[in-house]
Amino acid sequence: MAELSLHGVSKSFGSVLAVDGVDLGIAHGEFVVLVGPSGCGKSTLLRMISGLEGASAGRILIGGRDVTNVAPAKRGVAMVFQSYALFPHMTAAQNIGFGLRLARVPKAEIARRVAEVAETLQIEPLLGRYPRELSGGQRQRVAIGRSIIRDPQVFLFDEPLSNLDAALRVRMRLEIARLRDRLDATMVYVTHDQTEAMTLADRIVVLNHGRIEQVGPPEELYDTPANRFVAGFIGAPAMNFIDAAIEAGEGGEPQVRFGPVSLPTGRAHDVAPGPVTLGVRPEHLYIATENEADFRGRVEIVEKLGSESLAYLQTNFSAEPVTIKLAEHPALHPGDELPVRVARERFHLFEETGAVL
Amino acid sequence: MADLALVAEPVKRFNPWPAVIFIALGVLALLFLAPTAGVLLSSIKTTRDIALGQLWTIPSQLFWGNYAEVLANPAVHRYFLNTLLVTAPATVASIALGSLAGYVFAKLPFRGSNLLFLVIVSGMFFPPQVILIPLFRLFNALDLIDTLYPIVIIHTAMGIPICTLLMRNFFATVPNALREAAILEGANEWQVLTRVALPLSLPALAVLATLQFTWIWNDFLWPLIFTQSDEKRTIMLGIVNLQGQYSVAWGVQGALSLIASLPTLVVFLFFQRYFIKGMTMGAVKG
Ligand SMILES: Nc1ncnc2c1ncn2[C@@H]1O[C@H](COP(=O)(O)OP(=O)(O)OP(=O)(O)O)[C@@H](O)[C@H]1O
Ligand SMILES: [Mg+2]
Repeated sequence: MAELSLHGVSKSFGSVLAVDGVDLGIAHGEFVVLVGPSGCGKSTLLRMISGLEGASAGRILIGGRDVTNVAPAKRGVAMVFQSYALFPHMTAAQNIGFGLRLARVPKAEIARRVAEVAETLQIEPLLGRYPRELSGGQRQRVAIGRSIIRDPQVFLFDEPLSNLDAALRVRMRLEIARLRDRLDATMVYVTHDQTEAMTLADRIVVLNHGRIEQVGPPEELYDTPANRFVAGFIGAPAMNFIDAAIEAGEGGEPQVRFGPVSLPTGRAHDVAPGPVTLGVRPEHLYIATENEADFRGRVEIVEKLGSESLAYLQTNFSAEPVTIKLAEHPALHPGDELPVRVARERFHLFEETGAVL
Repeated sequence: MADLALVAEPVKRFNPWPAVIFIALGVLALLFLAPTAGVLLSSIKTTRDIALGQLWTIPSQLFWGNYAEVLANPAVHRYFLNTLLVTAPATVASIALGSLAGYVFAKLPFRGSNLLFLVIVSGMFFPPQVILIPLFRLFNALDLIDTLYPIVIIHTAMGIPICTLLMRNFFATVPNALREAAILEGANEWQVLTRVALPLSLPALAVLATLQFTWIWNDFLWPLIFTQSDEKRTIMLGIVNLQGQYSVAWGVQGALSLIASLPTLVVFLFFQRYFIKGMTMGAVKG
């Protein structure tokens, strides 16, 4: 069993605290995706798990064994780099078999296992080629081959697909999903790509400034973000944030008020009056009839994306345009006035500190 | 409109500079080639021809006697062997040590390593004559005078700065991710060096091998100082020695000079095919 646990893991580079006291338990066979803005410490955390970077503080356990001070190769981890990191002077087969050669595995055995891996990844015809003779996707497949041949307990991926073009990225994403189902291993995957994170992850870890903001299944992070940061980070296009205030309404029920709009907070618990931020996703705003509309917005720009469209609305209560997601080809033009309704169950309220209300 | 006028009426003015530069370079090339041509010419003339002062004329007939004489001379065999015994180990040792040091400076930096690197590289600008007497005393005390050891040791030491500089700079272009990938596959630093960094640095190794081999092979100073008997002389001293045995030795000297420069030519021709760039291509995205 290869569960992975991090206890208070920190890393500082001089005065920079890149990873700050991360506690995380990952179950055997789980696929965990690390996301966060650039420089938040994703790669550093991954490299500490791999052993390429030592931890400044904390402990790392793999399969119950404390590996904090164990050499990288002895941790039972394999890593796939964003840059592939294939050895240019070796053929694909030699790249894949490199670790086994170092371990002095007999030649016939190496050949057999390389062939096996090549079959899994469908790269048999490429085995004799050098990296420079391979396309980006093929190189990444060879790099994955090199990582799976030694049967590691934990796979680490650092943005493995970000050097590929969009179409190839989708194909490789599917392939990694298949790999995840076929290999009985724990995987930690760093990405910038929302779709990759949402589609691949059993659980997503959102990092910011070296700290974990929230951990949970993709739907949970989407539906119930723990704070404003996670709410803004998960989901594309990003959530709309609107300055609002809580006021005691008639009948004592608190209301959230922004501009001319007043909505029941709909929260079971008491919400104290005061300034808040209202967060609502573009897909939770609808064009409504005049009667049902909460507010009106003037269309500034319409982006038609094919399967859906985005409209950016100017309103009298928000400096930023409010984004709204619409069906395929709406007959909208800049300057149109739209009546908009907020989905009652789907908006979020955040304190000034960013925590969810 | 202005553009049109330019196209319609191309102004072709005579630019004298390419011609001037071409002529200057041609003259320089001739000046450099002249001594070699002189040596070549005298090596295929009889002693009598040379004695008649016809140094620059084309000989009426080719005379191979000088070459035969040189090649049959057992002393010359000895010179060649001695030179090889100095050049091969010193070339290998300086490149090996330079590679080790260069790898550390490029991939395993430590506190103060940049300063140390500068100190080592500054050794390149050190005039060897300054340490000539101390070195002589040192090797004399070690009872190594009139052996080949001092020459090997000095050439190894003096080659380290350039080898370290070149190897460090080449290793610095090997992506760090390659080292890390190898380490995750179970390689230790030695294996990273020998299986990844060095194979990717063949161009640098080839340049260094050629440079060091030529430099050490052609050296005159150190063998002159540390060897005395004819038994221990190297080829460059041997060329001069031949002078003593014949009244006029231009012919044999010329022949030996040309024969003595063949090994460096062979080394160059052998290694030049590695003088190619782009070995790291395909390692990372590109
Ligand atoms: N070797 C290092 N020396 C000094 N600082 C470093 C080093 N490696 C990373 N850092 C710093 O640590 C922080 C986290 O870096 P890290 O590479 O983990 O970010 P990341 O989340 O992977 O970013 P990205 O999404 O851009 O890859 C950054 O502020 C970075 O500048
Ligand atoms: Mg990173």
